[in-house]
Parts: sequence; C-alpha cells; structure tokens
Amino acid sequence: MKFSDHIKLGIGFKFGSLLAAFGILATSLTGYYFYSSSRNMLASATERDLLTSTQVVGRNMKLIIDMIAEDSQLLAAIPVTSNVFNSPDELTAERDKKVLADTFAAMLTAHPEYFQIRLISTSQHGLELVRVDRNGKTLTRVLDANLQEKAHYPYVFDTLRLARGDIYLSDITINHEKGAHSGLNKPTVTVSTPVISSNGKKLGLIVINIDLNGLSRLLKSNLPSTYQLYLSNQWGDFLIHPDATQTFGFDKGKRILIQDSFRPVLSLIHGKGMNVVTNVDEGRQKQDGQVAAFVRLPFGDTIEKRFVILGLSQPLDNITRETTRLGWDTFQIILAFSGLALILSMLVSRIVTGPLNAMVSAINRFSKEHVISTLPLTRNDELGLLSRSFHDMQTQIMAHLSELNENRKALDHLTRHDTLTGLPNRRMFFDRLEHAIASSRRSGKHLAVLFVDLDRFKEINDTFGHAVGDKVLTNVAILLKSSVREVDTVARLGGDEFVILIDMIDDPQHVTTIVQKLHNLFQRALQIDGRDMHVYASIGAGIFPRDGKDANELMQNADQSMYNSKKDGGNTSSFHAFRSEETS
Amino acid sequence: MPMFPIICRLFATLSVSLALSLPAYAVETLRVLAWPGYADNDLVKNFEKRFDVHVEVSFVSSDDMLREKISANQGGDFDVFAANTAEMQHYISQKLVVPLQLSNIPNTAHQLPRFRNLQAIPGITRHGQVFAIPYTYSEMGLIYDRKQFRKPPTSMAAMWDPRYKGLVLAFDTSSHNFSIASLLLGGSPFQIEDKQFSKVAEHLIALRRNVLTFYTLPEESVRLFRKHSVALLFANYGSQQLKQLRDAGADVGYVIPREGALAWLDCWAITRGVKNQRLAESWINYTLEPSVSEELTRRQGLANTIEASPLIVKSDKLIWLRPVENAQRRAVLWSHIISGDLPEKFLAP
Repeated sequence: MKFSDHIKLGIGFKFGSLLAAFGILATSLTGYYFYSSSRNMLASATERDLLTSTQVVGRNMKLIIDMIAEDSQLLAAIPVTSNVFNSPDELTAERDKKVLADTFAAMLTAHPEYFQIRLISTSQHGLELVRVDRNGKTLTRVLDANLQEKAHYPYVFDTLRLARGDIYLSDITINHEKGAHSGLNKPTVTVSTPVISSNGKKLGLIVINIDLNGLSRLLKSNLPSTYQLYLSNQWGDFLIHPDATQTFGFDKGKRILIQDSFRPVLSLIHGKGMNVVTNVDEGRQKQDGQVAAFVRLPFGDTIEKRFVILGLSQPLDNITRETTRLGWDTFQIILAFSGLALILSMLVSRIVTGPLNAMVSAINRFSKEHVISTLPLTRNDELGLLSRSFHDMQTQIMAHLSELNENRKALDHLTRHDTLTGLPNRRMFFDRLEHAIASSRRSGKHLAVLFVDLDRFKEINDTFGHAVGDKVLTNVAILLKSSVREVDTVARLGGDEFVILIDMIDDPQHVTTIVQKLHNLFQRALQIDGRDMHVYASIGAGIFPRDGKDANELMQNADQSMYNSKKDGGNTSSFHAFRSEETS
Repeated sequence: MPMFPIICRLFATLSVSLALSLPAYAVETLRVLAWPGYADNDLVKNFEKRFDVHVEVSFVSSDDMLREKISANQGGDFDVFAANTAEMQHYISQKLVVPLQLSNIPNTAHQLPRFRNLQAIPGITRHGQVFAIPYTYSEMGLIYDRKQFRKPPTSMAAMWDPRYKGLVLAFDTSSHNFSIASLLLGGSPFQIEDKQFSKVAEHLIALRRNVLTFYTLPEESVRLFRKHSVALLFANYGSQQLKQLRDAGADVGYVIPREGALAWLDCWAITRGVKNQRLAESWINYTLEPSVSEELTRRQGLANTIEASPLIVKSDKLIWLRPVENAQRRAVLWSHIISGDLPEKFLAP
C-alpha cells in the first residue's frame, strides 16, 4: 500500500508540477511581453502626443503671428497712415499723428500682448513719427524729443526692402531700446510691414512690438500644467525656458544652447528633419526626468530660411507612474493566471492520473485476488487503449490460470485414480482408509475392508488377449461400484486386485451380507463383446477395529483372508477372524 | 578655565583636522578654475599622470562669475585660474593673487616676444612682481569684403566712411565701442576724460547713422554680411568669426588697423589660498608646452602664445584690454545711443 501511494504521489506531483511550471512560465512570459510592449506603446504614445501637442502649439503660434501681421497690414493700409507723410502743414500733420496714435492705442488696448506700436519714417535715420508704448497699465504716446532713430535696426532696414503687404518678423531678442514702456529689457519680437505711397515710394513702416512672455502665456494657455514650453532661435539659444535664467544667454555674453540640454535637437538645427522627440529612456538619465518633443518652425520670410525650434516637455513622473501601474496590474494578472494554472494543472493531473491510479489498484487487486475490476474501457484515448490492453491481458491470464487449474485437477485425478477403470487407486484408497479409521475411532462405528481378487485372470488375458482382460476389469469395476453405497469406496490396487472400503457400519454382521451379495454377483456371467464370460473372485474381509488396529494391519489381515479364500480354490470369500462363518 | 576641558577640545580639534586633511595627503589635488576649452579632460589626465596628482577643474562663463568664485573664501577655493588682463588688476588690488616664480615656469622662455615682455602687458605686473602669465588671446580686427575694397582698410575710421553707409557691421557693446571711438578721436581707449565723453558719444551716434546695424552673435553677423552685401565688419570674435564667414563662402580679408586692435588676453594666475604653489606653477608651465597650447588653437580656434598667428604680423599693434574709467557710464550712454536717442536728449550741448 505504501509503495503504491508513493507512486501515486510521484506521477501526480511530477505531472502537476510540470504543468503548473509550464502554465506559470507561459503566463509570466506573456505578461512580461505584454508589459514591455505596453510600456513601449505607452512611451511612444506619450512621445506622439507630445509631438502632436508641440505641432499644435506651433500652428497656434503661426496663427497668432498671422493675426498680428494682419493688424500691422491694416495699420499700414489705413489712409491716415499715409496722410502723416503728406500733410500740407504742421497742424494737419499733428492732427493726423494724433488720430493714428489713438488708433494704435485702441489696438494696444485690444491686445495686451502688444508692447508697442510705431510708425517709423524712412528718412531722418529712421526717426519714429508716431509711437505708443504700453507702460504698466497705461498707454503712453511718446512725443517729439523722445522719439528715436531706428534705421540701424534690422526690423527697419529689412522691412523697407519688402513690397506692400509683406511682413517682416524680427529675431526674438531682449528689447534694450530705451523708452517709457513695459517692454524694456523684456524678450520681444517685432512684426512690421512697409508703408508705401500710391506711387510706390517707401514712406516708412508700421512696427508692432510683441511681448514674448505674453505670447508664451497664450501658447501655454491650452496645455496641461505639467507641460513645459521651450523656444530657441535657429542657433539654439534658449528664448523660452521654464527657468527664465536659461534664456537669452547671448544677451549676457554667454551661450545657453538647446542642443546642449537636448542633444537630438542638433539634427533640427542642422536641418536634418522637422521634428524630434527625445527618447524616454534617454530622458530618464539626461533631461532631468523630462521627455520632450521639438519641431522646427519657419520664422519670418522664407527666403532667409530663418526658423525657430519649439519644444514641449513633460515630466517622466507621469509616464513612470503609468508604467508602474501597468507593471503592478500585469503582476497581478500574472499572479492570478499563475494561480489558475496551478489549479488547472492539479485538475488535469488528477484527470490523467485518476485512471492511472484506478488501473494501478485494479492491477493490485488482480494480482492479489484474481478479480477483474472495472476499468475505463470506453475511453477513446491512450488511457482507454491501455485499459483495454490491460483488460485483455487480465482475461488471458484468467483463461490460462483456469486451464492450468483444470490440468492440475486432471493430474491430481490421475495420481489418485486408476486410468483403466476410473476407480480410486491404492494411494487414494489409503487416504480414505486413514480418514475413515480416524472417524471410526471418534464415532466408535465399524468399518470393513474387502479384498476382491479375480480368479484366473491371467488365463483370460492369455486366452482372449489384454483388450478383453481390460474390459473384464472395467466391467468388474462397474459391478463392484454398483453393488455398494455411494459413500463406500471401490478401488483398484493393481492387476486384478480390487479393494472396497465400507464405512460407518453399525453392525459388523452387515458386512457378511455385503460379501454374500458380492459373491452372488460374481456367479453371473459377464457380457464381454457379446460373449458370456464367467469371472470369479476370491474375497477377503477385515473389520476395523476387530481385525487390525490401524490401516496396515487391517489391510494385511484382509489380504490374508483373501489369500485364504484363494487357497481354498477361489470364488469364495473369507473373513479374517471368524473363518468358521465362511461360506462356499 | 579648568585644564581638562581645554585638553579635550584641543584633542577633538586636532583629530578633526587630521581626519579632514588625510585624503589630501593621500593624493594631492590641484584646483583649477578656467574657461570652457582651457582644460580639456585628456590634457588634464596627462598632467595628473605626470605629476601623480588629482586635478579638479571648474569652469566659468563670465567675468562676474569668475570674480565671485575667486572672491569667495578669499581665493581659498581654487589654486590656479585664468582671467583676462582687464580683470587681473582687480585681483591684484584685492590681494587675491600671489606673485609668480618665473623660474618655476620655464616654458615662458618659448613664448612669442610679444608675451615675454611682461612689463609691457598692462595689468599683470605690479611693483616689478609678475602676477599672471599670458595663455591665449583674441584680437578684434576688421573683416572686409575683398570685392568692395580694392585696398584693405587701414583704420577703424573706415566704419565711419559715408561711402560705406549702410554697409558696415559694428558690434553691440558699450565698452569696446567707446574705446575705439576715443582712440580714433586721439584719446586713450580705456581712460576717457569727463569732458571728452560727449564728443565720443556723438562720434558713436555718427557711427550709428553710418552702420547697417550692431550685431550680437557671430552667426548673426555672418547672416547680415551675406544678406546685405556688407563691406566692413568689426570682428569682435576675431579669427573665429573670420573662419565662419569664409566657411559661409564670403570672400573676405582680415586686417589689424594701424591704430591697433583691441584684444583680450587671458592669463593664468595663482590665488592667495593656493595649497601648493609649486604644483600650480607646474600647471601653468604645462599649459605653455607646445602640445597643450597648440591643441587649444586647434580645438578652440583661439590664438596661443607659443606660435605666431597667421593673421598677425610682428608689427601689428594689439591693445590689450584694461579696466575702463567708468564702465557704468559707458553702458548708460551706449543704451541711449543704440536705442536711437537724438543727441540733444542725453548729451549736454
């Protein structure tokens, strides 16, 4: 039992463990793959989103600048602007300038991101004619001696090269132009357009000065608060940076370049692409936990091929948090599925090992009790096949076993019976005799042994042959058997010598009757091959316990009685002790 | 005071200072404060190997930052640093630097004659003692368009020449512009007398009315030069700027004007807080080896003091920068000038 238990544990445990290990491995691998691909997807989605946002911000910037350009075009086109240059007298000129200044003021009121609007003359080294500055919350018109010469600024000489309606966008710089305005020493960009007379003469230009911080606020207004905005010029100098001290380094005599903080941006500066996203993993190490997207935007007229680089960054924390959550979820899923795999493998192991165990116990039962137990014979799988084969084997073994049994019984019969007559032989007779003596001793009843020896049987054999002799013996056997009770034993000791055990005799006198009856039977002729044949026998009897105290003695005495009868000429019977009662 | 606590305190102080100084004894450290490009990693490694010391390099990006770092802790945070001639006077006056033992810097013997006569270089000697050794320099010559000038310009005055109105690029800086204007008016570039200021300022207004514009970045100057067919350019960035223009395809020449070109000259000096002056002097000597100095020129495009620059001949006059009489005053006036203010608004008649 212990042995089979051990086996059961072995198969089930190994099979289950293998299945569970496979299940857990598969789940873990799938989970890990899912995690890493999702993580990459998350990262690239973030990068894509960031890039899209940056492009949207870029488009917004272009829209805002276009709107400012329209404002400057409007101011350049209104008649009062040209009138300033063509006034017939000082007074009219002053009136026209006043009207224009009011218009500038109205526009500055409508656009808080405008610092300043000016009308600049082509002549007098680019002298300002009308200028309205924003000064904190108020608007100030700058007059007379405070007006300045601006011809040496690119926004003047470059704008004056343009045709009517064209727009010049200056570089983004720190405004160091002195004046009573909020824009002093502030980052700024100017949008300007020439004022051209009806005959094509370049009279001057309209310049709108824009607050870069205001522009940056406008751009950031629709972005999530975690996003940070960057802007650099075409050489990479930071113009907008979350840390204001990192901007306009060139204005303080040093260069703080975007490509030093975000290496991949160098490709945009060199014109090898229009956008770039700094890798998340790269960002983890280098960009202070930021992932950033940058786009190269055309800035100003297209001939000069000026551009700016606009960028948005997002803290990696958000992505890291998402990734951590994803990892934790994946871990939980792996755990759950591993548990499921464990349960399933246990079940499957049971399903498979159950029939195996049933077969093992069937084999055990068969080997111990030779009983064919029920097996899963109807299954269509290998187990069914195994069961059927095993069943066939069992049946065969059973058949062999019963055949062996039959043979053994036949052999047994052979050893205890006479082959010719089918009567018990000497050995069996002695067994029965011993047995009968034993029970006789217990019960106190008598038993008798009758020796029957055919007279002159040798002559029959010699005269008629052995075949006839054998038939005689067979007939005598039948004769003897039919003349005693079923319980009595008729045996052939050999040759023509028979012996009869008569058991459980109440009255020894009864034996005489039997002997007489036998004697009478021998007086009749036997029908052998259609021929009457007279066969006689000499009978000797011995009664237990009177004629012997054990089997041997009893037999000897009975044998002796039979010899006595034989000596008397045969066909007689005699008793051992009471010879006086013998008949003839 | 009882004796026991005093002994205790003494012992504690002793053990603390011992513990602090132990690593320094293990490997000696030289603390260098320099400008980017002056002490590249590989060159520093060579020095460390040769002298079996550790070199700790820090960088500065402006004169103000340099002053701040050296002044902090009375120069005790660094052993050796590089500053230009205009700045050196400050460190000498503040006694933040110590005189150098030239015998410990034998490589000075291989420097160009211009740099060997230390007494002729303003600001690095005082009372016969040498406080700094020149390392690298950059002069501000004139870049001209070969097509528009048949003969190279000879003077800074060409920037005022009405023939080149709108074709001149000047640099947006107060100090140098005042120096140039003063020099051209026959005055001292670095010491403008009070009564001369209005005249110099007016001269700069005249410059403003003649130039195309005042640039700030070298890249910007290249762009403007090409776009507006500029004839003459004040090369604030010197040879580096010349290279940029030539790389961009401009057919330009370079000249040192006869009145001389302003030039900054960076020199090595040793702080008062130096730990091992002999080692600091070895560092200076090391940077003057041809292999180190020439590497600086090759990598940074800056001229060194060992080999002659191909752009300068011996007779060319270089005016090493010195502290100006009043930088603040120049800056205020310059902001008026660059903003386009009319002279009557800010100049006394």
